[in-house]
Amino acid sequence: MILQALQALFTPISLFAVFIGTTSGVIVGGMPGLTATMAVALLIPVTFALEPLTGLLLMGGVYCGAMYGGSIPAILLRTPGTPAAVATAMEGYPMTQQGHGGLALKVSVIASFTGGMFSTFILLLIAPILAVFALTFGPPEYFLLAILGLAGIVSMADDENRLVKAIISGLIGLIMAVVGTDPMSGMLRYTMGLTDLFDGIAFMPALIGMFSISQMLELTGAKSIITDKSTITKIKREPLPKGIHKPIVLGSLVGTVVGILPGEGATIAAFMSYNIARRRSKNPKLFGKGNPEGIAAAEAGNNGCVGGSLVPTLTLGIPGNSVAAALLGGLLIHGLIPGPELFTTYGEMTYAFILSLFIANIVFLLLGLFMAPYFARISLTPTSLLIPVVCLFSVLGSYAMNNSILDIFIALICGLVAIILQKTGFSLGALILGLILGPIAETGFAQALIMGHGSYAIFFNRPQALALWGIIFLLLVPPIYQIFKQRKKG
Amino acid sequence: MTKRLAELLILSGYLILAVLLYRSTASYPVSVQGSTALYVRFLGMALGVFCCLEIFLWFKNRNQATTEKLTIATVPMRFWGLFILLLIYSTALSYLGFYLSSALFLPLAMLLLGAKKPLSIGLTSIGVLLFVYLVFAKLLEVPLPEGSLF
Repeated sequence: MILQALQALFTPISLFAVFIGTTSGVIVGGMPGLTATMAVALLIPVTFALEPLTGLLLMGGVYCGAMYGGSIPAILLRTPGTPAAVATAMEGYPMTQQGHGGLALKVSVIASFTGGMFSTFILLLIAPILAVFALTFGPPEYFLLAILGLAGIVSMADDENRLVKAIISGLIGLIMAVVGTDPMSGMLRYTMGLTDLFDGIAFMPALIGMFSISQMLELTGAKSIITDKSTITKIKREPLPKGIHKPIVLGSLVGTVVGILPGEGATIAAFMSYNIARRRSKNPKLFGKGNPEGIAAAEAGNNGCVGGSLVPTLTLGIPGNSVAAALLGGLLIHGLIPGPELFTTYGEMTYAFILSLFIANIVFLLLGLFMAPYFARISLTPTSLLIPVVCLFSVLGSYAMNNSILDIFIALICGLVAIILQKTGFSLGALILGLILGPIAETGFAQALIMGHGSYAIFFNRPQALALWGIIFLLLVPPIYQIFKQRKKG
Repeated sequence: MTKRLAELLILSGYLILAVLLYRSTASYPVSVQGSTALYVRFLGMALGVFCCLEIFLWFKNRNQATTEKLTIATVPMRFWGLFILLLIYSTALSYLGFYLSSALFLPLAMLLLGAKKPLSIGLTSIGVLLFVYLVFAKLLEVPLPEGSLF
């Protein structure tokens, strides 16, 4: 079966489809507001006219490419191309400011490649077994997964004062996430009668505002992003930092596992990997100031999600995230029903699709390595030209998600508020984490309590839940202990 | 205004938000009082507790604190100019549509930020708009804001 799949894959048209799909994915992922989901969804009608395999290869390439592409503007302009690249922006942009944008791009592409390859291996080898495990997760476990993600807020603080501010920021993010329709009753909450808020505050405009608009406003006082322009010419010669493989391996593992869980996205995987890497790092204080370990973990994490999310999609027909859901639509259009038949009757096509993901990873690796020095030169552009262009794409990106003018104003307000919050010591990372995890936490909490007839015991009486509590405990105790130890010393 | 005072004002604002949020759950339907309303109440309560704690720390560390000023912008003219221009641009999108608003916004913002060469201003603006037209509008068919006047 695998041999037949390889034969089908190694035809000029198939390889061309993978190449075109991946390259387009990198471009789409690199533009704020254009997400992998949107690109795959737009491709579905196009693939209708193509051979089913060619269509699938195109969509797979776009998925892989877009996940990596999001990191390019995140690193160079602090403008995450996709929400999954927020953690990358937190470390990548300071590196660009220090003149190491090329190295940051190199770390990003290698980590993305490793994460993508690892998760595809897992998809190829143990897809059906893992899919069954993921199905045992219910609302209590999803709530605890959100808590696990929120536990990362504690890692964002260096001392007691910052810890409280980080928690407050996370809570503000969670509160922003309750705006919209109540997931249980359907009641409208805090929408002020604005129809655009019925679905809640979309996190892409908020994210663009907090990271992109705020940065562009701050840059109005500078002539260019970097101060020492001579470092840009050294890009090709910069070696990879020592010990970078550890966060890459960690991110790949976390990304794949998170990807397998239905509903959990690459954003959560990236943040989780980033926070675990920060906890395990020998230099946690360098995080937030341009630590390549953070980029490595986050990028391996979000690309690890690609293969992981396809596990339940292909085996059970349950999409791992929104891109996988769009891809599932493409599969169904071509008459490919997820389940055992996909690996038997249609095995040739399915395995060719899975194997094509390896090629897509190689394509973006080469593209990234070859193009990194040229991408990095963006940071040399005078701010008088760069800022208006990035602002235009930020406005466009905020609008494009829901075709809403209100979303643009949300982005602008978030941009201004972000500057004030940052200058007064509040954590933007924690706020965004709260906003992203809020809906999962609220729905999981509410559904679990209904399931447990109001009893909180439901969060403790299942082995999966207990295992998650254990991980949360392990993640929370060391940083809190560290903060209090520092306080005693001080 | 000093950073410390700004911190206190923000925390006070959050405290008011916490109280309002907590009180708002009383209007939730009875069916969700034990689920989503409980969750929102918890958020309000947690925010209130942590704000009080931070305000307590603020007063406790008052003597050690510096009187550093809160500087939002290093070049206020450009910072606020760009922000106001962005607000006008976003409003104009509904009336003039994407292309006309952008054709005005780009050169104006570039001039505000100190660009002097008309050729680079013109070429960048035209290049960006052409790119958006070809990639966003034609290739990906992403809907762009349409104006009500034109």
